[in-house]
Amino acid sequence: MIRKLLIAAAALAMATPVFAAPDAAALQTRLEALRHRVELLKDHDAIENLQTAYGFYFDKSLWGEVADLFADDGSFEYGQMGVYVGKAHIRKALTLFSREGPEFGKLNNHMQLQEIIDVAPDGKTAKARFRGMVQLSRSGQSGQWGDGVYENEYVKQNGVWKIAKLHFYADGFTDYDAGWTKSAIPLTGPSAAIPPDKPPTEIYRGFPGAYIPPYHYDHPVTGKPMNIPEPADSVLGRK
Amino acid sequence: MQRLLILACAITVLTAPLAARAAPKADDDPAALQAAAAQLDALDKRITRLEDANAVEKVQRAYGYFVDKAQWTQLTDLFAKDATLEIGGRGVFIGKPHILDYMHGAFGPDGIKEGQIINHMQFQAIADIDPDGVHAKQRMRAFVMSNGGWGLPLYENDYVKEDGVWKIKTLHGPFTMYTSWDGWAKSATPNTRPDTFGEPPDLPPTVVYLTYPSYYIVPFHYPNPVTGRPWKPGTQEAGAYASPTQVSLDNPKGSPPKGGQQ
Repeated sequence: MIRKLLIAAAALAMATPVFAAPDAAALQTRLEALRHRVELLKDHDAIENLQTAYGFYFDKSLWGEVADLFADDGSFEYGQMGVYVGKAHIRKALTLFSREGPEFGKLNNHMQLQEIIDVAPDGKTAKARFRGMVQLSRSGQSGQWGDGVYENEYVKQNGVWKIAKLHFYADGFTDYDAGWTKSAIPLTGPSAAIPPDKPPTEIYRGFPGAYIPPYHYDHPVTGKPMNIPEPADSVLGRK
Repeated sequence: MQRLLILACAITVLTAPLAARAAPKADDDPAALQAAAAQLDALDKRITRLEDANAVEKVQRAYGYFVDKAQWTQLTDLFAKDATLEIGGRGVFIGKPHILDYMHGAFGPDGIKEGQIINHMQFQAIADIDPDGVHAKQRMRAFVMSNGGWGLPLYENDYVKEDGVWKIKTLHGPFTMYTSWDGWAKSATPNTRPDTFGEPPDLPPTVVYLTYPSYYIVPFHYPNPVTGRPWKPGTQEAGAYASPTQVSLDNPKGSPPKGGQQ
């Protein structure tokens, strides 16, 4: 519906001749600028839907659907598991989380929350930070909370937004019953069975280690870049 | 989505007169051009409001990400110069320097420490831009996951646009519930109070209330979205006892209130 309306609007706009009078030309320029701003708002909305769709597919281990959200040369990086490149390899890597498809007695919830989406001024690429709250279980055996932050990149190809780069910075995982004060489950490292194309882009530990995933955006009020010194880590030797 | 649909319609409607009226004799029809310009002005305002709503949501979500990592100085820079902050029951702190004092008093110096987790997840935004385009209100939930346990602050904040930039003007975050890792069925942490906090506030709390298992309905800044009727507080007591029994400074053993209903 929206698409049709926009096409109608575009057709009408094209029917409007470019006027010699400066005022009319200025109006045309303004109209184009407004149209571009509406397009950027739609892009913002589309990326929100894209990333939340990723979460809903991930919940049910629908790995084919997840992989199809990526651009052909898209990459996937989860915690310290390394970087997987390309749809086929991403789909294979996802079987490290579970077999494809939902299973009785399993929760694999990856909630996509607290989005900060920034579309590039040309409307062709975008970046977003999302909160990832994770809820895992094997019924009767284990329950876990997990937490982390996504810093992702997106690309618009032939009018469709796709994931260009997904990077989930896992904060850590803890046993449901014990909680963070008593339980800290280490992050999974690169797999020997399905090795990644590249090692992890950044080395950090999960909780109790502290790490600040870099922000893609400048400070929203001061506009200054956020140069954050990474916190000390006694295991990694970072001071 | 619906907002965008309306915008798309607006563009269509707007473009039609431009084509119909302006096209045939635009060069010598200042009235038509003026009418088109007025329509563009109106459309510009509506697009700006959508951009503003996104910006106000972004400011509050960025606040949450700063709390996560104890970036108190950068968090304070999200506020307007004369902004106020009121969190839990500790009273009102005025101005950026005092807001920073509050954060340092409550959490310690800047920077997340090994073994510390203070995640401040910000969900469920209802942002409303005032017709003047430079003031806004927003309700947003925070869900805290920390070493201490779970927490549920709720924000009803005011924002102001200064030199084209949205800032927090009034941050008001009454607590709904705080609990340890024992969970909210067994444990409830009482509300904070000015007399148990090192940093004295500039003003006393604007409202006195108890947290879970008691309740307090934080007034909604918006009317019912369907009926359009503004919300009116009820006449019931602000805070009733309910199970599980609240353990507090006034009730260290968690005994049921005398003569009260559990």
